[in-house]
Amino acid sequence: MKILGQKINRRFFLSFFSLSALTNFLPQKVFGVSDYRNDKNIPKQYIQNRDRPGFFIRSANPFMGVDMNEWSLSVRGMVKTPREFKYEDLFGLKKISQVSRLKCVECWSATAKWEGFSFQEVIDMVQPDPKAKYVYLQSADSYYESFTLEELIRPRVLMILRMNGQPLSKDHGFPLRLIAPFKYGYKNIKYITSIEFTDSRKRNYWSINGPYSVDGTIQPGIDHPLDYKKKPLPINGGEVFHPFDKRPL
Amino acid sequence: MRCFLLVVFFLIFFFGCGKDEVEQIKVDIPEGIVVPDDMVYIPSGNFIMGHSDYPDTKKGKVINQEAFLIDRFEVTREQFGSFNQDYRFHPKKARFPASLVTYKQAEGYCNWKGRRLPNETEWEKSARGSDGRKWAWKKYYEHPNNGFSGFIPEAVDDRDEWISPYGVYGMGHNVWEWTSDWYVSGKTSKSDSKLYKVIRGGVTQTHTVIKFTPTFFRNKMEPKAYFNFIGFRCACSIDCS
Repeated sequence: MKILGQKINRRFFLSFFSLSALTNFLPQKVFGVSDYRNDKNIPKQYIQNRDRPGFFIRSANPFMGVDMNEWSLSVRGMVKTPREFKYEDLFGLKKISQVSRLKCVECWSATAKWEGFSFQEVIDMVQPDPKAKYVYLQSADSYYESFTLEELIRPRVLMILRMNGQPLSKDHGFPLRLIAPFKYGYKNIKYITSIEFTDSRKRNYWSINGPYSVDGTIQPGIDHPLDYKKKPLPINGGEVFHPFDKRPL
Repeated sequence: MRCFLLVVFFLIFFFGCGKDEVEQIKVDIPEGIVVPDDMVYIPSGNFIMGHSDYPDTKKGKVINQEAFLIDRFEVTREQFGSFNQDYRFHPKKARFPASLVTYKQAEGYCNWKGRRLPNETEWEKSARGSDGRKWAWKKYYEHPNNGFSGFIPEAVDDRDEWISPYGVYGMGHNVWEWTSDWYVSGKTSKSDSKLYKVIRGGVTQTHTVIKFTPTFFRNKMEPKAYFNFIGFRCACSIDCS
């Protein structure tokens, strides 16, 4: 028997199957875009862990994203003036932008241009009690984080509305997230719905559900930046700047 | 006979589980030098600085260092709190190393005590001794990592199994420590030569893996930075007391 002029015999079959095995070593993109979902049982439209080239997505509790008809930001606790903000209210605040690297505790990091407002703006509007030394944040995906108030007013800590010139995407925390570049990614809470000022520290999601500290300050060690082909680079602790990153003045 | 064997096994188990003692370098303190109780006398003489596998170090050069005194322990939160009244700490952690302290604050404390921050050479000699140790405690151990990601400091006098050859505590396993030197390496441009201070002697963490750092390992930090993983100790010349 002949196909395309080739005689079909045992040798042909062996050659064909050997060659087809080699395709496993070809880059995936030859065959189209991979499905980056980590758990195939979660519906595709859910926000969930995805190893997207350039910037991985991490989501502790996969969900459909924020329904803006329902969303508001509640600021409460030990404050003189509790407030409830709608999305539009946040655009009246003074905008600050910066390029900073988000360093995941799992080892990878990625950079983006972030735009938002400083936490001091929130403080000025609600006037916390001087005894309120801690801040507890909750999100639409049942996630929660805790900080000292001092940490949130450090330079380069921002409440973020836009990323890379666009409103935050669903994957990156629309409508509001935190960027604290000296803290591991898990501290950079997305989909924020409430900010509570307290006089004692509450625990955060990953210190209860995993092996990660409440503090989450980036420690000296090794980073695998996605924009450097995940090659290992040493980091000295705190906000990550690689030799190819532009440092703020 | 059976009881005798049980006692023998118990004694082997009991002593086998004991802490390893760190081999100490015998030091004779010259007459007339008064060493405060909280400090250690580091004798003059040569020591090996850096390691050839670490290009930003002195690469194993032999350095002669004058005698000096260095704090036996990292400065504690309680001690720093007595200098800076605004410094808050939990009473149960009074003996933990002072952290969240900038370079200037650390320097201020040492000056207030009539001391100064150690320079890098002094720090490395105190940790390494004159016998070229990679680890202050000489033997290599894996870090007893408990699979946790996050910095967990310990009381400054907790670990006598990890002391240096001169009996200095905390040189390679607790907080990183400010030194007075600016960080310069072969790659540092002149304009960048006063950007970072050298910090020494902490651990590195990558995800949940924690590693001790060798005695010659250099890290750097902007002097204005203050983090939970950076503390300090003081030093002074032999006549400071």
